[in-house]
Amino acid sequence: MLINNLNILIGLEVHTQLTKLRSKLFCPTPADYRKSPPNTYVCPICLGLPGTLPVVNKKAVEYAIAVAKALNCEVSDKLVFVRKHYFYPDLPKNYQISQYIGPGFTAIARNGYVKIYADGKVKIIRIRRVNIEEDPGRIVYVGSIEISPYSLIDYNRSGIALLEIVTEPDMASPKEARAFLEKLIAILEYLGVTDPREEGAFRVDANISFEGFGRVEIKNIGSVKDVEKALTYEIIRQKKIIEQGGKVERETRHWNPSKGVTVSLRSKEYEEDYRYFPDPDLPPMKLDKSLIERISSALPELPDNRIARFTMQYGLDEYRASVLVLNKWLADFFEDAAKIYSNYKKLADLLITDFLRWINEYNLSPENFKATPLHIVKLLKLWDEGILSVKMVKEILPQIIKDGIDVESYVAASGYVKIIDKSYLHKIVEEVMKEHPKAVQDALSNPKAINYLIGLVMKKTGGKADPQITKEIIQEILSSIR
Amino acid sequence: MSYKYLSMPVYRLLQEFKTDPMKIFDYLELVYKVINGTENKIRSFITLISKDIVFKYVEKLVKEGLEKFDSLKLLGIPIAVKDNISTKGIRTTCASRMLENYIPPYNATVIERIIKEGGIIIGKTNMDEFAMGSTTETSAFYPTRNPWDLSRVPGGSSGGSAAALSAGEAPLALGSDTGGSIRNPAAFCGVYGLKPTYGLVSRYGLIAYASSMDQIGPMARNTMDLAILLNIIAGHDSKDSTSLLINGKDYVSLLKELTHKEPRLRIGIIKELFENSDEGIRSKTYKAVDMLCAYHDCLTISLPYGKQLVAAYYIIAMAEASSNLARFDGVRYGLKIPFENKGWDEIYSEVRTKGFGYEVKKRIALGAYILSVGYRDMYYIRALKFRRILKETFDKIFKSVDAVMSPTMPILPPKLGEFFEDPLRMYLADVNTVIANLIGVPAISIPIDFYNGLPVAVQIMSRQLTEEVLLYLSMQLEEKTRFRNIVAEVH
Amino acid sequence: MQESDVIDYLERLALLKFTESEREKVRIEITKIIELFNELMKVEELDRVEPLYHVIEIELPLRDDEPLDTVDSSHELLSENAILENGYIKAPKTVGE
Ligand SMILES: [Zn+2]
Repeated sequence: MLINNLNILIGLEVHTQLTKLRSKLFCPTPADYRKSPPNTYVCPICLGLPGTLPVVNKKAVEYAIAVAKALNCEVSDKLVFVRKHYFYPDLPKNYQISQYIGPGFTAIARNGYVKIYADGKVKIIRIRRVNIEEDPGRIVYVGSIEISPYSLIDYNRSGIALLEIVTEPDMASPKEARAFLEKLIAILEYLGVTDPREEGAFRVDANISFEGFGRVEIKNIGSVKDVEKALTYEIIRQKKIIEQGGKVERETRHWNPSKGVTVSLRSKEYEEDYRYFPDPDLPPMKLDKSLIERISSALPELPDNRIARFTMQYGLDEYRASVLVLNKWLADFFEDAAKIYSNYKKLADLLITDFLRWINEYNLSPENFKATPLHIVKLLKLWDEGILSVKMVKEILPQIIKDGIDVESYVAASGYVKIIDKSYLHKIVEEVMKEHPKAVQDALSNPKAINYLIGLVMKKTGGKADPQITKEIIQEILSSIR
Repeated sequence: MSYKYLSMPVYRLLQEFKTDPMKIFDYLELVYKVINGTENKIRSFITLISKDIVFKYVEKLVKEGLEKFDSLKLLGIPIAVKDNISTKGIRTTCASRMLENYIPPYNATVIERIIKEGGIIIGKTNMDEFAMGSTTETSAFYPTRNPWDLSRVPGGSSGGSAAALSAGEAPLALGSDTGGSIRNPAAFCGVYGLKPTYGLVSRYGLIAYASSMDQIGPMARNTMDLAILLNIIAGHDSKDSTSLLINGKDYVSLLKELTHKEPRLRIGIIKELFENSDEGIRSKTYKAVDMLCAYHDCLTISLPYGKQLVAAYYIIAMAEASSNLARFDGVRYGLKIPFENKGWDEIYSEVRTKGFGYEVKKRIALGAYILSVGYRDMYYIRALKFRRILKETFDKIFKSVDAVMSPTMPILPPKLGEFFEDPLRMYLADVNTVIANLIGVPAISIPIDFYNGLPVAVQIMSRQLTEEVLLYLSMQLEEKTRFRNIVAEVH
Repeated sequence: MQESDVIDYLERLALLKFTESEREKVRIEITKIIELFNELMKVEELDRVEPLYHVIEIELPLRDDEPLDTVDSSHELLSENAILENGYIKAPKTVGE
């Protein structure tokens, strides 16, 4: 079978916690549970104790609407919650309060889209729907998962507000899936509704199929990189099956990040029946236009707008602009630096290449690296003045990032400047003179013009040449010529 | 303290207690004496708070609360609470093995309010398991018996609360009503019971059976006492999203005012619901109709639905129940069975099999079936559509009348075990009461007389949030029938 | 119902079991109950209306995002009713299903 002609269809189902909320979705339990001992950030409601009832967090609804608008969705004119039934011990009520589309109920938003850049082209990924729902608790195991005689449950996470964002199967490669997720994360971050870097705050189910073949769902992938890896693995696996004339089972698989493989969880011969019905504990609410309008008009500048502005205001191309913008902190850093430094392209290049690389290398988060925009601008200026070479810039940069050293004092204090090796300098001076005969003529007739030659040597040595020794060597040679 | 206190209404007891708080102890002494004498025959309670604990509680209450006594609206009044209403630190079982050892760590909103007003919880009353039944026989522990005839059921599901009242074991009780669970036992035991408008009383802490129909309501031996308890429990609660955004009215004042002014109302008599009742019920309830119609303007109305009412009710109730009862998995609370090395699905099934009785399992299974793809439209959606038509029907009826009247139950209290072979007959006996739950209106059961020594009651329904109309009509009947503060002599 | 035995089907759907003696009883009763449910087929005009989920006209109230200032650090909510191990709740294992 000529598999290379088959289209790959990838759809994603993203679960993102609204980590910027202070309390859970249906109860007033504090939401910053991550550092607390198990089962302490709980109340009768998020433990599902008999008789308890949910009350909806207003901010969660507003955040959901903001996300929906940012994803270009149609926001529903009513808010309805349904019960989704499946029996599992991390789900305190053995049903999840969620949203769905059916008779008398609907998702908070549907039919949106996100623009991504893939292989230099703009592509539209359609959003099918956005749901508000509650997060289940967390299951851990004693020893290993296979031999553990029982499981242990922590309900601290139970009831945390989640958004479920479901795309159409519009992505054709793992790379596009990654581009989509990066864009989505940026949007969420710009909205200030979540910090996707928080542990477990951003989880993805990916479904993938070759057109005309069975669809496989990979559940609960924890990071963007893992989504890309899992999809890549899955494509190879399915390709092999198809090439050998086999049939791709319709099934749910699990991504094992340490082994780098997907493993089968269960085959899906029939759709799971979640027995949805509107939660009788939560009457519907009209979402009137004015509320949606108010939220919509208060949206901050979103990535697409910022990319456009960066191209206009700083003359950057779309590629550079989008690399900066998709890393919100980096774009903010860029804009701070751009206030005091006007070679925007040079600034952008440094930031999106070496700067970003070192941040990742040191595994630093935007909160804990030491470099300030001023540090970077000073560095660039020394580079511009020929005092620092590219090589030296690259050497100093990681130290600025890690330790926040001041470039000027560092340059002054370290051995970077002042090459005092006379024979080395002699060689450089001779080269410079050979390359610039006019400047030599000038200097012979005008002693002041010597400075120009010194400058040229400086440039050639990246500012490292000792100016006094250089001057002496130049005078020596000039007098020998005379 | 003499036995005359036993038939004293709560509003009189309150006066006595306020002038002399020590009388609270005398009264409690009396109540426990009655309980000691009757409880082994009636078995109204699942959990009875010991006299010692109650006395210590009251001592503290009296010591700390002397200066605010005048403002406490339930000062020293013992209250029996149905065992599906969560009480902090007091076992709350829903009459189920599943929750046999469950101790809620929080109070239902109604309990908070009762405690704040100086009310005293003396025990948790027996009921049908998870309120699924009309006889209190599905209790996993034991049936309760009707104080008027120990061979008969007290009705259900709030059978324990009704029996406790009529046996003199408590002067006030809380019940819950999903399809008649307050009114049915009130009728069978000869006491007053009110199912409020859906959303008037907070459901927070009420262990759900069918959330869209469940309501907690007051039960008492006279109309004024109903109003007193309703005053305490009614009103908005921010913990219940279906709680109406209104403060409860002062039903005591309204009742007094209406009883004084005696406005003439229009009352609809639902023809079919009388005609389809047993002979004894029919003759007695028509007399009550005559009593009210001598003063008010009555007109006969017709309701074109019968079995459909019961069908719609059970479909909705079972569907919601299958969801509400899914949480009982033994993990966070409830029945524990050894689970090491066994899988979740297996244990979940085993816990439910051991923890739930037959009727509960049947309703959960049917509920899941009703909600499953392929049957949802046929049953669940259809029942909800019928519910809308029924609501429209009654919206129309309530345009021409202020209240509608019928017998509460079409039958007299059955013998224990009588319904066992044919539970469908039990379901069909709910036909008069399920209407109010399906459409969310308030309904009251008013005892009017005895037939062959067994109590007979009428039911009156009115528009949403017009509980005072029901109380007013109840008071008028009470004046005529003198059916007030009657305590059964248990033999 | 698609399964050969209706009771098996219900047991699987609801994840519970009836005892042998209950099975026969429930089989008879369910037939009668479904018959009762089918009474609704007789009501005409059902198609003209929308299902009524909530009987009272109430707008969903929303809560401000204000967290409680306490948490359950000593497991008061659970200690009476759950089996705890280092603060975790013990439950059946979920793998191998
Ligand atoms: Zn909580």
